[in-house]
Amino acid sequence: MSGGVDSSVAAGMLVEQGYDVVGATMKLFCHGEDVPDRPCCSLDSVNDARRVCEQLGIPHYVLNLETRFGHDVVDNFVDEYARGRTPIPCVRCNTFTKFRDFLKKADAIDARWIATGHYARVVEGDLHRGIDENKDQTYFLWGIDRAVLSRMILPVGSLDKAQTRARAHAMGLEVIAEKPESQEICFVPDGDYARILEQRLPADAPALSSGPIITSSGVVVGEHNGFARYTIGQRRGVPGGFAQPMYVIAIRPELCAVVIGTRDELLGSGIVAREVNWLTDTPKVGDQVRVRIRHRAPLARAEIVRLSGQEIELALDEPVSAITPGQSAVFYDGDRVLGGGFIEASRSLRSALPVLAA
Amino acid sequence: MPVDPIYLDHAATTPVREEVFEAMKPFYGPRFGNPSSTHRWGREARAALDEARERVGRCLGARPDEICFTSGGTEADNLAILGAWRALKAKGRTAVVTTPIEHKAILGAVHQTTQEGAEERLLAMTRDGVIDPVSFEKLVDEQVAVCSMMWVNNEIGSIQPIPELAAKAKSRGAMVHTDAVQAFGKVPIDAQTQEFDFLTISGHKFGAPKGIGALFIRRGTHIEPLMHGGTQDRGRRPGTENVAAAVGLARAAELTIAECEAHCAHLRKLRERLEAGILAKIPDALIHGRGAERAPHIVNVSVPGTDSESLLMALDLRGIAASGGSACQSGSISPSHVLTAIGVRPDLASAAIRMSLGVLTTDHSVDRVIEVFPALVAKARQLAAAE
Repeated sequence: MSGGVDSSVAAGMLVEQGYDVVGATMKLFCHGEDVPDRPCCSLDSVNDARRVCEQLGIPHYVLNLETRFGHDVVDNFVDEYARGRTPIPCVRCNTFTKFRDFLKKADAIDARWIATGHYARVVEGDLHRGIDENKDQTYFLWGIDRAVLSRMILPVGSLDKAQTRARAHAMGLEVIAEKPESQEICFVPDGDYARILEQRLPADAPALSSGPIITSSGVVVGEHNGFARYTIGQRRGVPGGFAQPMYVIAIRPELCAVVIGTRDELLGSGIVAREVNWLTDTPKVGDQVRVRIRHRAPLARAEIVRLSGQEIELALDEPVSAITPGQSAVFYDGDRVLGGGFIEASRSLRSALPVLAA
Repeated sequence: MPVDPIYLDHAATTPVREEVFEAMKPFYGPRFGNPSSTHRWGREARAALDEARERVGRCLGARPDEICFTSGGTEADNLAILGAWRALKAKGRTAVVTTPIEHKAILGAVHQTTQEGAEERLLAMTRDGVIDPVSFEKLVDEQVAVCSMMWVNNEIGSIQPIPELAAKAKSRGAMVHTDAVQAFGKVPIDAQTQEFDFLTISGHKFGAPKGIGALFIRRGTHIEPLMHGGTQDRGRRPGTENVAAAVGLARAAELTIAECEAHCAHLRKLRERLEAGILAKIPDALIHGRGAERAPHIVNVSVPGTDSESLLMALDLRGIAASGGSACQSGSISPSHVLTAIGVRPDLASAAIRMSLGVLTTDHSVDRVIEVFPALVAKARQLAAAE
């Protein structure tokens, strides 16, 4: 329980349904250094979660998963940026922290189920998108162990956000009912991810050092102050004076370079993804799927053209803009999540050669 | 909730005793006066406060003017350390000595003295949680302004030889404070024959309510007050006195001292039963501080391959209340600084479970714990092994 409206209502709904509910909040990181007796990380959220549990009449515990979260999620986040990629820590948090480490705590107290406030549904053993298309969070859930699905309860997945807030009011949870949405990465205060990188990477790290901004033909057109500050599709920090608006189309850490190009150059016709995980039986080459390449991006039609171990390649029916290494590619059949993987590269429209990012 | 909840956290706090509650009631009713007032109501309250001071004093072998009522252990610890440091640094003493196994109230106050120019010296501990005499000889010298050593450790129960250490530190001109929050009622305390200058007690550890404690301040000792205001308690602790709580503290202290011997013998028996029961079923369980002289109410046990967070949660859900390391502000548990300071391996420190016995502990509850705890441990180890 994060102290937010979704997990609070999820807990409340389970209490209403007669489950024996135990509330738990994960302590995942500490802002600032280890200063004894300093107010703890996100203390207000923990207090809100505790207050909600008090109102619901259920016990509440704070579970310290800081070490493993730091290793599995935060370190990886930094490494990915250092490699010129744009990571998506929430996926790894769900995979490793919430539905693995946290689940072990549930085992320790013989809890049969684990419930969260995700907007997603488990239908007959499969993971489905939440009813609220705007809030759907399956994009972040593809990496969990398939076996966990049978233990997951996602009560708010069948509500829309307005209904969730209404339920919070109906439950008397005024403390949290109108809390604003958090769009940020929880361990990145103020959305300033570069500051986290500055704190954790050496001062002379290539990812944070200046380098050339080049066009796809290799012409140097400017200088950047660290490729980790750029992501595919970005326009901010890109030099002007071109006939067409220019975007970041690739990051080449081996050259310390940020590659820019036109809107057309941003398009990709295929996707290579790795660390693929299936939440259904493994599909076959030739199968048609829908794929989402970014949170809230529209679903795109694609065909599986290659499957080898944990790597997959898809051919898109229509080109898609800003396929970004490090982000997830999540595969759907209707509302049902088939699986997903981390984007490794996009196949560019013009050449058959992949524009590799790392 | 299980039928029969078991409270094994008496070192955290204890229930207010019925006799104490009764003794306090009149001061929430007709005897509500302010002890500083000169009229009838004031006189009544003043009489109760004076009497409470005498009674608490008698329990410590102290004179009434040596008892300063505080809001509890933390305030008393701060008053002693900061008050004495501020008074003494003017006299050219530069160091403050303490142990790494103190309560946070001491460690925090000592840290504050370093902000005010003090040199902090931490005594080395043995693996059983006792001050290393060699380290004491080395660190407690003529530079030391204040030396603060806790009498009974709140996490593992180890007892320091305070009378002997206090005499030595005094002979080197240091002021001696001892945090006796866990020691009161468990070890013989007598200010007449023992040489400490300051001693802290806290009411809620022995049947008085939360929010009352006392600092013994030896007659003739000058300290700087922490707060400024009226002349209550000789100006050492301004603010209208908590008369009802002071009366409660006095009653609880008297009962505790009167029952001390029998109660300690009883607790010792219960603890032996508990430890033997745990060790019989979990032979590799490690009981911390076992080689030292220990107060009878604390058992701190680590089982390899478990973690306290999960165990405490599982115990709680079965109605058994124990505690782990120090809970941080968020409520999450970090490995105890005490266990770390006595050289316990990190994996064992984060497996530590403190069970503290007291008035609510019975043979029956101990037997339940002996049954439930090893079962939970077995399960936790099974889960860990499956990884």
